[in-house]
Amino acid sequence: MDKKVKIDASVLDQSQVDPVTFEVLRSIFEYASERMSSVLQRASFSPILADMVDFSNAIYDADAQLISQAANCPIHLAAMKFSAEAIIKKFGLENIHEGDVITVNDPYQGGTHINDITFLMPIFFDGDLLAFAVSRGHWMDLGGGAAGGQNFRGSHIAGEGLRLPPTKIYERGEVRQDILDIILNNTRTPHFVQGDLQAHYGCLLAAEQEMQRAAEKYTVATLKAAMTQLQKYTERIVRNSIAEIPDGDYSAEDYADTDGISDEPIRMKVTLKIRGTDITVDFAGSDPTCKGAINSPFANTASAVFYSLQFFLAPWAPANQGMFTPIKIELPDDCWLNAKWPSPTIGCTTLTSSKITSAIWQALSKACPETVTGSTSADCNWFVSSVIAPDGTTDVFSDLPAGGWGASPYADGMNVTEDPLGNCMNMPAETAELLFPVAYEAFELRQDSGGAGQYRGGLGAIFKVRYLSDGELSMETARTLEGSPGVGGGMHSDVQRQTKIHKDGEVEVIGGLAPNGDWKNPLLSGHPFAYGDTFMFESTGGGGWGKPLDREIDAVHEDVLDEYISIERAEKIYGVAVNPITLELDASRTETLRAALSAAD
Amino acid sequence: MWRVGIDVGGTFTDLFAWNESTQEQVTAKVLTTKDDRSVGVLNALKDAGIQAPDVSYLMHGTTTATNALIERSFPKAGMVTTDGFRDTIEIGRQHRAHLYDPYQTKPKPIIKRRWRYTIGERMDVHGQVVRPLPKERAYEIAEKIKAQGLSSVAIAFINAYTSAAHEEMMRDVIKEVCPDCYVVISAETAPVFREHGRFTTTAIRAALIPVMEDYFSRLEASLNNAGFAGRLLVLKSSGGVTGVEYAKQHPEELIESGPAGGVAYAAYLSNLLGDCPNIIHTDVGGTSFDVSIVQDGKGLITRDHEIEWEVPVIVPMLDIHSVGAGGGSIGWVDKGGSLRVGPQSAGSKPGPVCYGLGGTEPTITDANLLLGRIEPTLGGKMTLDKEAAEKAMESVAEQFGLSTLETADGMIRIGCENMAQAVKKVMVGRGRDPRDFILASFGGAGAMHACFVADSMNVPRVIVPAYAGVASAFGATAMDLRQDLETFYFSSVADADLERMNEIYADLEERATALLTNDGVPVDQITILRTAQMRYVGQTYEVETPMPSEKLVDSDVPKVIETFHKYHKMEYGVSSDDFEPALVSLAVTATGKMEMPPAVPMSNNDKDPKKSTRQVYFSGSWHDSVVYDGHAISEGANIPGPSIIEYDHACTVLPPNANATVDKYGNLIIDLS
Repeated sequence: MDKKVKIDASVLDQSQVDPVTFEVLRSIFEYASERMSSVLQRASFSPILADMVDFSNAIYDADAQLISQAANCPIHLAAMKFSAEAIIKKFGLENIHEGDVITVNDPYQGGTHINDITFLMPIFFDGDLLAFAVSRGHWMDLGGGAAGGQNFRGSHIAGEGLRLPPTKIYERGEVRQDILDIILNNTRTPHFVQGDLQAHYGCLLAAEQEMQRAAEKYTVATLKAAMTQLQKYTERIVRNSIAEIPDGDYSAEDYADTDGISDEPIRMKVTLKIRGTDITVDFAGSDPTCKGAINSPFANTASAVFYSLQFFLAPWAPANQGMFTPIKIELPDDCWLNAKWPSPTIGCTTLTSSKITSAIWQALSKACPETVTGSTSADCNWFVSSVIAPDGTTDVFSDLPAGGWGASPYADGMNVTEDPLGNCMNMPAETAELLFPVAYEAFELRQDSGGAGQYRGGLGAIFKVRYLSDGELSMETARTLEGSPGVGGGMHSDVQRQTKIHKDGEVEVIGGLAPNGDWKNPLLSGHPFAYGDTFMFESTGGGGWGKPLDREIDAVHEDVLDEYISIERAEKIYGVAVNPITLELDASRTETLRAALSAAD
Repeated sequence: MWRVGIDVGGTFTDLFAWNESTQEQVTAKVLTTKDDRSVGVLNALKDAGIQAPDVSYLMHGTTTATNALIERSFPKAGMVTTDGFRDTIEIGRQHRAHLYDPYQTKPKPIIKRRWRYTIGERMDVHGQVVRPLPKERAYEIAEKIKAQGLSSVAIAFINAYTSAAHEEMMRDVIKEVCPDCYVVISAETAPVFREHGRFTTTAIRAALIPVMEDYFSRLEASLNNAGFAGRLLVLKSSGGVTGVEYAKQHPEELIESGPAGGVAYAAYLSNLLGDCPNIIHTDVGGTSFDVSIVQDGKGLITRDHEIEWEVPVIVPMLDIHSVGAGGGSIGWVDKGGSLRVGPQSAGSKPGPVCYGLGGTEPTITDANLLLGRIEPTLGGKMTLDKEAAEKAMESVAEQFGLSTLETADGMIRIGCENMAQAVKKVMVGRGRDPRDFILASFGGAGAMHACFVADSMNVPRVIVPAYAGVASAFGATAMDLRQDLETFYFSSVADADLERMNEIYADLEERATALLTNDGVPVDQITILRTAQMRYVGQTYEVETPMPSEKLVDSDVPKVIETFHKYHKMEYGVSSDDFEPALVSLAVTATGKMEMPPAVPMSNNDKDPKKSTRQVYFSGSWHDSVVYDGHAISEGANIPGPSIIEYDHACTVLPPNANATVDKYGNLIIDLS
């Protein structure tokens, strides 16, 4: 079969790519990064990659500017760029060869937290450096003081695991065994390492193949011109959106309940300064560097800012450098959102970034209240647990039971959906039970956990896992003091809580608010569980949108029938009376209730 | 006697039939009767001049199951799950369809939460009882089901893939209290692990059983009234047919019943033509573009198809992907100033601007009209408003400083690139290179774009089949009877108990054979393929791996391992001896051989197929292009591009680099190299 490729004559003018070829190449670039993700998910070994999809893949141009990205995790969006820059800075372009793969996970060289490890491969065509393929995945365990690096009692990054500076792990197509051995020596899960590495490598090769095919058909010069145009294209979309926001300064605050060491909330303040088609995101007024492991290095903070804004500025635009150009970030020098060595950072991607999103969305809601949604549960509730397998070996498993999303001006929020920062899937109960000595006892909707409103916040979940061995559990979460804020009259959701149900049935709140009002620090670090104990986590829902009394009576009634909300809540907050026996709507009592509630409002 | 294939689509009911003694072939196309689709089936027979008593086999493809599911229009259905898992079908896998869309929502759960009940039973992963099924609670639930008047119930318990005992006990209780209720259990529906897929598939079976029971019973009654005494067979998503009684009980296997016919036709062509084992099957309609793959003469199968976001159907199905791209796709300029095509579609109302039914945004059809690729009267059927189409195109064109023609041409290129991406997603995602395939084009708008879609993937050849207009109906007659059965078996290959595996395969084969014999297949016409779902120890996704067909012995093990490495590399691009292979489930595919429609050489005529010459726009300029009458073309005809071949309901566009020939069966083979 003839595989010779024709060069499309209409694109030979390379100074400016015509609009049609531009659109065609845009979709090819997008496809290349999507294909990377498809390969990585299917070929990887650790459940956190294959089942939970905690990774992102991207193509960068020869100047390390983002061209396209399949971000399964938005928090990887901009951070990968800093990793790529750190790699190029260290080696110099002249020392990066065909077949090399360079890895880095140092939070202080463009990383986020240690477990997010990045792989970069240069793509050449006929000797020209065409682009870089970059793949970042969350690896289950890279050592440190607790399984999965979740060491919330540590105050130095050295306690969180192996911190690799930019390092060649493949050299001209050959894996470097010395580096691989170092990694194997520094993990609790060496059995995942080679399989996951092979999957990342396969995914980089897929990108190489797609980009080389495109270059063969359209020429390197056309591709490069299209890459430049693509960035301007996204920048145009972002600037047009910023222009629609009234100029001004809009501030909001949010906080983490604790840094795991002190019991004091760690606060952030954000001010969006809108000027024409530029935004400055200023974190002045935020707390200084904290002791515990929720400090966020610059790459993580920047990433969180960019993806948080992308939801409202350019949700459908291709993610690339053009997204970042109109946005400037200002950070105090001593700030937990501008962490420097040796501050620990393990909680930054999952906990800190979601608070940045919440604060930014609340600030935006002041600028354009009619378009912004209620806050999400704003945490990904990531836990890691070591368990002792029946044969005596230690294994590590992980899950991230989600909460609900905020209600929007158009609809109720989504129930139990991963926080904006990621898009990971949960661990199926039957997979967990097959692989680990545990029994999943529940993952179901939590009634009344969404913030009330004209549109209701999505519901959170009740998650339960019972240990069939001894184990230790580490987890980061927040929203244990107050739930997710609503907007435009929408209400807060309920709080989150961690509970241990002892084998003998004793119920003990181990994180968050107990019924007696006591509060326990919810950053769990190696919390012991014995055979037969159950860990229960109650995640919260999203904030509501608009006033609850503006919610349609029928919608409230339907919510009661489906037990998304209780009869008591329907009555007390929505002013809707439902007969507890027949479950029929009591229209006349509803009228009275609503009148009384409006009068009190 | 006639063998009849009938495909009931959204708009048309298509028929293809061939006569067992004379080998005569006929086709018909009538309007689908939406209130009672069985009426359209009889209309099609009448239109084709076939008497119901003269039909030996009627093979039937239907979208009834899919429509009912998507519209959630089925009688009240309920569900019973293990405590703690009431919401598995609603929570899904807790991820979202659109990464950055703050306003997105998720599809409604198949079964409403108010009718989902839970019970405190529990099995462990080895099928051992942890907590027995509490009988009292079981009766309490059954009474609620009765009080609510539910028509059907799905029972889905955690770890039920290892033991059906509790689900069966629960079913007995419900049947006792509600004898008229349809009750289905997950251990029978899809006995494989991972609860979300199994629970959802079971819920779908429960929801659809009353719908399909009703539909097929009415169809059978009307056919019987008309004197039909043959065998009614139904197209399954897996690309085989089955008896109607089985189909009523397994509606989750009918989700792709319609499109499956087209894929079967592609597979038939692959076997007929001999030199193209690998075919990309594409079907372009007004709003959607469907693609699937035929490799080595067989449709590629998937087990993780999602009918909607997080609504998986985990039975074996042809891997058919759909994207929103078709004749009605709209061209528009986005916020960043780029020309985009679709996914919005003008649909049939208002339709393309040139139809004059109120459409104002230029569509792919409008672009084709402006470029001279569509004849402005559609063969005298209507008058297309070219001026209006031009005006609409201008409004888009002026935003870039392009001419209307350049914009129209660009829309086609972009639309075809979108289709090519969809093809690549299916192929390359599964480790296949489009250049090793030929592209077969079905559907009303298919052959107009096929050459451009093929070009953008460097696919060298395109085929427009003789019966492209009734492809699914033709394919319905070109299918074998098929049954797929699967059992969970989890072990590393090294630790596998071959005795146990042999027992499982023997049991699966016995059951599959019984099902086929039930549908009238003689035992000597049954072939059985054994497969296993395999992966490396620790991985999460499986690769379907063929297994030896005889009793397994120790010396087979290295061969099994080697085959697995090979298939893993083909699907995912990598494989390695460093990791240990493992089994997850064992399956058999049993086929009962059916007689295929005979390849009848076309009857040649001495009409001159050249109708006229017109100007058609290709890559930047107008070209004199010959217009052919598709119905007057004879075997061996050689048709160089640029040219247009017109049929009743479709036309083929040959760009300047294309050269077409007609084979002896009337298939158009286009060479692009």
